[in-house]
Amino acid sequence: MQKPWYSYLYVKSPIVKIILGILGVMLSLALLLFIGLIDGPRMEAQTGNWDGRSIEKGAEIFANNCATCHGAEGHGNPGPALNSHYFFTQRLKDVGFTGSQQDYIELTVAAGRPSKANSQWGVMMATWGHEYGGPLRADQVVHVSAYIMNWEESALQQTAETDPWIPFQDTPSKGSPYADGAVAAEPVQPAGEPRPPQELFTAMACSGCHVLDQLQTDTNRGAVGPNMGNLPEEAGQFVAGQTAEEYVHNSIVNPNDFIVPGYQPNIMPQNFAERMSEEEINGLVAWLLDPNRQP
Amino acid sequence: MAVQPEVQNKGILKSAAGIADDVFTRVTAGISAGEFRRMLRGEAPGRPNPRLKPHSESFILHIKPTYYHESVTRFTHTFRLGLLSTYLFLVETITGIFLMIWYAPSPDRAYSDMIRLLSSVPFGQFMRDVHRLGAEMMVAIVTLHMVRTYLTGSYKAPRQFTWFTGVLLLVITLFLSFSGYLLPWDQLAFWAVTIGTSMAEAVPPKIVGETVNLLARGAPDIGANGLLRFYLLHVFFLPILLILFFFVHYYKVVHFGISLPAAEEEVGQDSANKVPADRRVYFLPDVLIDEASFLIGFTALMILITAFFFQAPLESIANPQSTPLHTVAPWYFYWLQGMLKIADKMIAGVILPGVLLVLLIAIPYLDQNPSRRFKDRRVAIISGIVAGIVMIILSWMGTPQYAVRAAPAVEIVQELMPEEGAGLIREIGYAHMPLGTFDTREELHSDDPKFNEVLEEFQASVLHFDETDPDFNNAYGILEITQNQPSLKKIRWEIHWLSADGAEEVFRRAFFLHEDSLYWEQYAPRDFEFLQPAAEGE
Repeated sequence: MQKPWYSYLYVKSPIVKIILGILGVMLSLALLLFIGLIDGPRMEAQTGNWDGRSIEKGAEIFANNCATCHGAEGHGNPGPALNSHYFFTQRLKDVGFTGSQQDYIELTVAAGRPSKANSQWGVMMATWGHEYGGPLRADQVVHVSAYIMNWEESALQQTAETDPWIPFQDTPSKGSPYADGAVAAEPVQPAGEPRPPQELFTAMACSGCHVLDQLQTDTNRGAVGPNMGNLPEEAGQFVAGQTAEEYVHNSIVNPNDFIVPGYQPNIMPQNFAERMSEEEINGLVAWLLDPNRQP
Repeated sequence: MAVQPEVQNKGILKSAAGIADDVFTRVTAGISAGEFRRMLRGEAPGRPNPRLKPHSESFILHIKPTYYHESVTRFTHTFRLGLLSTYLFLVETITGIFLMIWYAPSPDRAYSDMIRLLSSVPFGQFMRDVHRLGAEMMVAIVTLHMVRTYLTGSYKAPRQFTWFTGVLLLVITLFLSFSGYLLPWDQLAFWAVTIGTSMAEAVPPKIVGETVNLLARGAPDIGANGLLRFYLLHVFFLPILLILFFFVHYYKVVHFGISLPAAEEEVGQDSANKVPADRRVYFLPDVLIDEASFLIGFTALMILITAFFFQAPLESIANPQSTPLHTVAPWYFYWLQGMLKIADKMIAGVILPGVLLVLLIAIPYLDQNPSRRFKDRRVAIISGIVAGIVMIILSWMGTPQYAVRAAPAVEIVQELMPEEGAGLIREIGYAHMPLGTFDTREELHSDDPKFNEVLEEFQASVLHFDETDPDFNNAYGILEITQNQPSLKKIRWEIHWLSADGAEEVFRRAFFLHEDSLYWEQYAPRDFEFLQPAAEGE
């Protein structure tokens, strides 16, 4: 019988086979030993990996659902700030929550803040969790909470001045979280230069409910507050006897005096007169009524 | 036992040696220490052959033949593919039982169990990788086993029924592999199985298809019931079926003997069971040594591949609300997916595979040619090769390369940063992502060679689609990387182009990438970078 060309590959000798088998066992054991030795760091890396992926997923959910109220950077506006020193250190103590920060966030995301009377906040937080009728599955609630928790490191470096937190009027702070002992800043009347209206419009959270570049018409109405695209033209026509300037000024200082038909009273905060100087309010009014205002 | 008189007669050493020999003979089911030594020395057995005893004494060995024809023990005759298939089933059983300990078949837990297995169970990832690799190898090797049998004509009389059970075993293997696919409960699993079971729905008449689909999924859509059913199929029903048909198959193999190389027999003759005394190779010790060393070598190879080149994938948790772009079946079903792209679900998903299966089973009865020699079987060999080529083409058509390209802008981003899985950006990782804005219209350069690769790929890909797609002109892309949070970067893609009628279009997509995230490709060298920070920390 003729031998095929690959016959040199045949291993005939049983001794060679046994030696190869022993080498195979040794190689397998060596590989298993190697895998076992690096298994500790491997598990650690995997733990980090899945935590990291959870934060990535949370970031996406946050950007799509939460950033409109809590800010893309978590600085709040119109909702409370989350990337905040106060939020990570003092908030739980002030509201008397005994669980962990992560629990608090998960609970708030899942159940929302759907009913709160006389809140200073324009918009109520919806219930986001599935179990409360919201759109997010339990694992997504955990992801978004992991993302918010990931701000802790940068938030703890904030001082009383840089903390974007706006104190809740119904829960006065019981202590100072900051290194210098400053109390969570009450709305401060700015002493020096008046702030520019563009900055005020976002800092006072107006932009959360009022859209500047959309027209307010019957077919295109702002969801929470009226759009302001055509405010310069329309402002004089709402209340008889008020000029456009008087109307807008009064609407900022005493929002409930006149509610545009179709909107709810008590949505807009009542305390703008305390949070801005008269000069700033006038600047804001003039800017809002400028047909060519620069955003 | 009368120890004392024996010691008195023979002395203490001799009687101890006698007892030791007795124990040895019992453990080896009939081979005495002296015979074992003679085996190792390569001496021929005496007559009657004392090495046949274990075949009648031990259960495991009684199903193995006592001797083989020398010609069939040559590696290149069978390539040991049947043995390998059986061995892989054993590997799958062992690793599968390990995995079962850490797994509960419920949508609430399945996915988090996988994460726990990967991140908190010693050897957990290894076991999962071996199980996955073994499953894919088993499909490949069972298929190759069938191809070998076809090419050597071993399905011919009297082995038609052996072939039939073999085809059933192939089908069961495919179903086993497929049913295991769903269990991790990630996007990959969920959508592959959703597509797979939707083919059952196409079985005519409608009432039958719907019922089969409902029975498989346990509900109109895959959910808790579907997962439980697939789990039970995977760990209980299919393995039992496989074991049953394996024994029938193997009994037939032993009963008829392994067919000899065609050249050694007259046409129409079957002399596999009439082995001349000088051509016999006894199982003990020659074949045993051969098979054992082969399986040990194969095991070492599997561990080696797992340790360095293979990682079972795990994507995001199953989400019935969102289908990821380019959902693909496992590679051994690419041909089916390819057919589904060009034909109706009922024809491509049910009728053609059904016909194929019947054809496979019927081969021994259709092929009446008594010869097993290549030169007499031109038609059979050529049609087999044609069928193989068709399968390969259909498989290629099953990949996203064929017919399902999305819009160019979407494809460009998908290639570098897919919705699910790794992609180039996630593979090089957070550390190699410099902050900044990169525009493909400008000369792109960064200090990081790995990131430069991404930029080049991005530029080339935009250019490629600009040249090939008439609806994608004057295109440019912007890649913006910003620090979103401590240890979290935002990667924003923006692709601008002019459509065929000159309208300006833009596609935007943002992803986030965390410092600790690790993404991997299934078939790629394993990344051991995680060993670095630990070394620095010390």
